Amino acid sequence: MLDTVVQNMGLLCSRHKRGNQATTEENDKAAEIERRIEQETKAEKHIQKLLLLGAGESGKSTIFKQIKLLFQTGFDERELQSYTSVIHANVYQTIKILHDGAKELALSDAGSSKYDLSIDNKEIGEKLSEIGGRLDYPRLTEELVQDILKIWSDPAIQETYARGNELQVPDCADYFMENLQRLSEANYIPTKEDVLHARVRTTGVVEIQFSPVGENKKSGEVYRLYDVGGQRNERRKWIHLFDGVTAVIFCAAISEYDQTLFEDENKNRIMETKELFEWVLKQKCFEKTSFMLFLNKFDIFEKKVSNVPLNVCEWFKDYQPVSTGKQEVEHAYEFVKKKFEELYYQNVTCDHQDRVFKIYRTTALDQKLVKKTFKLVDETLRRRNLFEAGLL
Amino acid sequence: MTGCDVIGGCPTDYVAISVAIISFILLLLRSTLPFLIHKIPRPKGSSFWLPTIQIMGSFNLLLSLVMSLNVVRFHRRHWWQSCYIWAVWVNGPLGIGLLLSCRLIQAAHLYSVFIKKRLFPVRSYVSLPLALLPWVAWAGFLHITLPLNNRCHMGTQWAVPYMCFPVLYTAALVCITRAIHHIEFKFHELKDLWRGILVTVFSIGAWVVLYVLHETHEETMWLQVTTRCVLLVVASFLVVAFFSVSFSQPLVSAISLNKKESFNLKTMGEALGIHDSGLFSQDDPTLDANPNEPLDKLLLNKRFRLSFMEFADSCLAGESVHFYNEVQQLDKIPVNDPVKRIYMVRHIIEKYITTGAPMEVNISHKTRQEILTSPDLAHPNLFRNAANELLQLISMNLAKDYWSSVFFLKFKEESAMRNVDHELQQVNSWKNSPRLSSVHCPNDPFYQDHIPRDPPSHNGHGSCLV
Repeated sequence: MLDTVVQNMGLLCSRHKRGNQATTEENDKAAEIERRIEQETKAEKHIQKLLLLGAGESGKSTIFKQIKLLFQTGFDERELQSYTSVIHANVYQTIKILHDGAKELALSDAGSSKYDLSIDNKEIGEKLSEIGGRLDYPRLTEELVQDILKIWSDPAIQETYARGNELQVPDCADYFMENLQRLSEANYIPTKEDVLHARVRTTGVVEIQFSPVGENKKSGEVYRLYDVGGQRNERRKWIHLFDGVTAVIFCAAISEYDQTLFEDENKNRIMETKELFEWVLKQKCFEKTSFMLFLNKFDIFEKKVSNVPLNVCEWFKDYQPVSTGKQEVEHAYEFVKKKFEELYYQNVTCDHQDRVFKIYRTTALDQKLVKKTFKLVDETLRRRNLFEAGLL
Repeated sequence: MTGCDVIGGCPTDYVAISVAIISFILLLLRSTLPFLIHKIPRPKGSSFWLPTIQIMGSFNLLLSLVMSLNVVRFHRRHWWQSCYIWAVWVNGPLGIGLLLSCRLIQAAHLYSVFIKKRLFPVRSYVSLPLALLPWVAWAGFLHITLPLNNRCHMGTQWAVPYMCFPVLYTAALVCITRAIHHIEFKFHELKDLWRGILVTVFSIGAWVVLYVLHETHEETMWLQVTTRCVLLVVASFLVVAFFSVSFSQPLVSAISLNKKESFNLKTMGEALGIHDSGLFSQDDPTLDANPNEPLDKLLLNKRFRLSFMEFADSCLAGESVHFYNEVQQLDKIPVNDPVKRIYMVRHIIEKYITTGAPMEVNISHKTRQEILTSPDLAHPNLFRNAANELLQLISMNLAKDYWSSVFFLKFKEESAMRNVDHELQQVNSWKNSPRLSSVHCPNDPFYQDHIPRDPPSHNGHGSCLV
């Protein structure tokens, strides 16, 4: 931003050379430019840099979208429209993954016919799989929707979906399949909820600037939030962002304890998150940076904990369930939270004594919860600022 | 008073040592100078380690000769000065063994990639120790049976089987080189292989003769001194002539060290002579870029592709577009030229696909494994899935932001300016030649994507009249 200002100032200067008569004018202009540059530099110093880090599919971009919705102008109709193709792509990709997954599982489980599609659905399945492998997806027509629903309700596919943790089935699969009719309408415009559920891998870096207290910059803090890709190849780009960071929001999807990575199907996702968190904690540039750990996807975690025990994950292998139902969910959550806390304190040295560390339970899809959580984060950071300025 | 033939220190010995030192420095310069002069980043993985291990092996070889042949005057008081360490272990497995094993593995890689058309299935950190195993076994055997006398000589009955090892390995190298000698390599690999074999054969021959003389005539003073000196000089010569970068870093071997005449490190596309792989020229068609057109059609146009690449680089997401660009270049290589294809494929895999590659792209595990374990590297659809995945990624992620970015504005401006010039040109040349498109169409039959996009002022001179 600063260099566009400088560039524009430069143009201003070059356009207004008019000889000696303009000398005083020039001087005034130059002074004005100097003043503006100073203001901007001062303003830059007040901009707090926030980074959203985390492994792939941990919810960073969803939080990013939520922040856009909450504190900026939100999504206008054109932007909402632009998500239609993404949502349709998600539908086709989900069906393709399930169909190909069913074939794979049928091969490995050679005895049972659990994963064999019924005869009439086989052809439809192949057709949909072929569409899913294309570059340009066709618009969702009524006919295609009927085909997709037929496949989705096929018992083989449902069985495959039950073993979805071994495949790379996106979390939005359920939601989009339930709403399929609505998604295929001719004048369909995605709702905010649809947009939040839409899954796109982020590549590179995206940033937004916002202020949590309305548009008036003077009364609130100004934050600049950076969203990054979480897959392994994207992480080498993170290093460019590590300077002068006020706070790191680390997203960890706790529901992924039985899933493997998109980029390496031999590695458990929680183990990867654990290693990544350790790596981030050890970075030199983060000695004074506040850490906000978002234990994300709590809604999925709630539903999963009763069916899949936590001990399938190596890190949680010492977990002992004590009861059932809601109590068990709470107990499991507290266990996971404690594990992360222990991990944090294991990686803290005396240089990090003053560092702020907070854990939040989040469900990135829930707007109210994210708003509340972010308000808490904002408060913590403001308090930290005052503390650093010596006023607390 | 023992003469210098026994304890070392004759004038010829010092000459030999200086030759050894000079040759090692030469070797270091040869290996590191291209990187330093042209500021090429250090390569990763086996293309770095194999040459480095070769240099270490060369150093070990020279050092072991110095220590075991009594070239230098010193007292063998400490255990680490013992004969067995130098003459048996450092000379064998850690010296000439390493050199020959590394070259053997490099040749095996070439065979696997160019003849079998698959990536070598065994990783280098497994295959190198395996290749060294016979040497280690022999050294262990020698160490147990302890045949060396106090002047570090092992006697003819041990020296001859010891010589069999380099001979065997060189024979294996010859076999592999013969199997691949019909391939038209583009970067002197075959030349370097033959040179390495020739140098090794000559050295082994000289070595055998000198070693045997050295061992059998322990009493003839002048013979001892001369053979010692000549052995060291031959080893120094071997070490320098044996080294080559063309196996692991073909592009580096293609640039000259003279800064003035080399063009800043070419891309693989340029080095292979793929038409139109450099920066744009005046003849590249302009494009009326329309956001509603599918991205893969737009990306076929070079100017648009380069503008989009710049944008992607600015948001740190450039590797997908660069990958797409190089796959396009790969597609231009005809299917009946598998050697060029394999070079390009290998380059793309090392740069974009392997885990930890410098510009690793964001693809799924399945897609990556498909490429890395593919049974046919020359297959035209090798990168199809990866390119599709990445194009999906680009169009869902980057494309939206591109249309509202500075880069697109610049592209539109430049297109508008060029259209004006182009139209003026066309109007003028219309007066000169009615068969416009044949004048402008290039003759290269592989230049497939240069189907000129007609600006609205022309009427259907779309196809090339070849």
